[in-house]
Amino acid sequence: MEFYVEEGKELDQNCSTLILPALSIGNVGQLAVDLLIASLKAEKIGYLDDPNILPCVGNDAYWPSPPGDLTLPLEAYESSSSALTLVQQRSPVVKGMMVEYAKNLANFASSNGKKHVIILSSLDFGRWHTIDVSSGLQVYYLSTSNIDGTDEDCERLGWNRLQEYNPSQRMWKYLNTLAEVGSALEEDLPFEELGDEDYYPSLPFAALFSCFKAKGLKVTCLLCYCSEGDNIPEGFHLAEAASKLMRLSQNEFHGNEAGKWIIPFSWKSVYGPPADISLF
Amino acid sequence: MDDVVTDIPPPSRFMLEDLNNFTPPSHPLPSPFLVFSTLDYSKSFHPSLLIIAMSSPSLHLLHHLSSKTLIGTLVLPEFPFSGNSVEPSLSDKSCNIYALNDSDRLIMIALVQYSVTSERSHAVAKLLIGERIIPERVLILDSVQSRNFRGKLSPDDIFAVKLETSFERKSSDTGDSPLIKGLDYFPSGSVVDGLAAALLSRCQLKKIKGTLCVSWPHFGVSVMSLVKSLLLKGALAGINHSSDADLEDEYLRFSRSKDFHLDSELYT
Repeated sequence: MEFYVEEGKELDQNCSTLILPALSIGNVGQLAVDLLIASLKAEKIGYLDDPNILPCVGNDAYWPSPPGDLTLPLEAYESSSSALTLVQQRSPVVKGMMVEYAKNLANFASSNGKKHVIILSSLDFGRWHTIDVSSGLQVYYLSTSNIDGTDEDCERLGWNRLQEYNPSQRMWKYLNTLAEVGSALEEDLPFEELGDEDYYPSLPFAALFSCFKAKGLKVTCLLCYCSEGDNIPEGFHLAEAASKLMRLSQNEFHGNEAGKWIIPFSWKSVYGPPADISLF
Repeated sequence: MDDVVTDIPPPSRFMLEDLNNFTPPSHPLPSPFLVFSTLDYSKSFHPSLLIIAMSSPSLHLLHHLSSKTLIGTLVLPEFPFSGNSVEPSLSDKSCNIYALNDSDRLIMIALVQYSVTSERSHAVAKLLIGERIIPERVLILDSVQSRNFRGKLSPDDIFAVKLETSFERKSSDTGDSPLIKGLDYFPSGSVVDGLAAALLSRCQLKKIKGTLCVSWPHFGVSVMSLVKSLLLKGALAGINHSSDADLEDEYLRFSRSKDFHLDSELYT
């Protein structure tokens, strides 16, 4: 993975926290990062070029003007006032290369002075075993602060540790092995059949978690359950959770939506064009 | 009526393998490579303009440009040479590279006549831009991908839109004539993927002036006329554009063979 700095820009070494999405059902992590970048008016600092990311290009995702600012699949933004770097990913990972991609990202983070990484991801509602409707859309988390995945700040915010996390479980241990330099995914898994307990470590957020952890960085995964559909509300929810964890104040945001959020310009067409009214 | 509780859920926006860390990777393919007619393997090319054509109208147009010389080819090992003709043909699975004769500056044209997968695009883009071929400006010609376009698309619409690297946009501010004139920018929220995206990304990363022009529809004499007009007013202005065929007539026949609407069983 190579990092290309935008002309006239440089990485702010004070931006020690990195926020990024993990690919997940409903693209919730990516929606949340879009909201944060737009609402913090984070500045584009550069591009990450990785052969494990499929190519895509588009027009500026956040602002209608100046027109034509090119968007690439993996971009880094900074909000110096919030000491935050944000990486947005817009296209999938090449089949079978998720762990390699996660290792490359972890190398980028550790070699550029990042201390804390916040990964935003969703989980499939169909896998939710203990449904708790009393608490609304709950935020779950996973942290490297303690061996069992707990973290005091997250607990104080009323979030639940991901119950299904078990660092001794075979797939979490296998991920830790893969996250080490020089280890590569074997063609055949060293296990015969995968069961329910292997589901969570198979998800992209787990690869990122393990690879950043292997670099000695503090990692917090923020998760919420959802089904696929209109996942914008979940995007807001995770973005709000990230801003609470980072203790971002209201005046660091520039929006009008619920007092602080700016809707990215590209969201106007996120569900395609309006219906052809001549049908009616 | 569908039972939303018990029925199998609709396909995800992601494939299951996209969200599985333990999906085995595909078997690696041999690397693509360039072959040039020069025997000097260290020779690099510095065209003032590199045109990379992928859309059907642009391929047809540039294939029939008579003032060009074949100088090389990009070999993708997964596409065998069998079935290709000795003389370049539009039906070949090839990526031939030409130099335009009639110009005081080197203009190179690559005609990408095979379908490069997204997974291979990064490697192909590296070969075409920035290693042995180091262009000052790049023009990529592709078609709008309906699966990635969030606006309305009708087969009756004829249009083209563009994306540019930041260096190309700045060069317009400092007086350079744009490669493609009079086009709106690709609308925000829609994307282009595949080889065209990999090529424009490479231009952006290497600080090369690059323009991607995507046209719609994929086939048709009208869209070919549009692309021809854009090229003659911009990138190929002042260049001898004589062709070796009756372009429109031939392309009309070709387009009809691709127009699936005319193959409807309703009209048998």
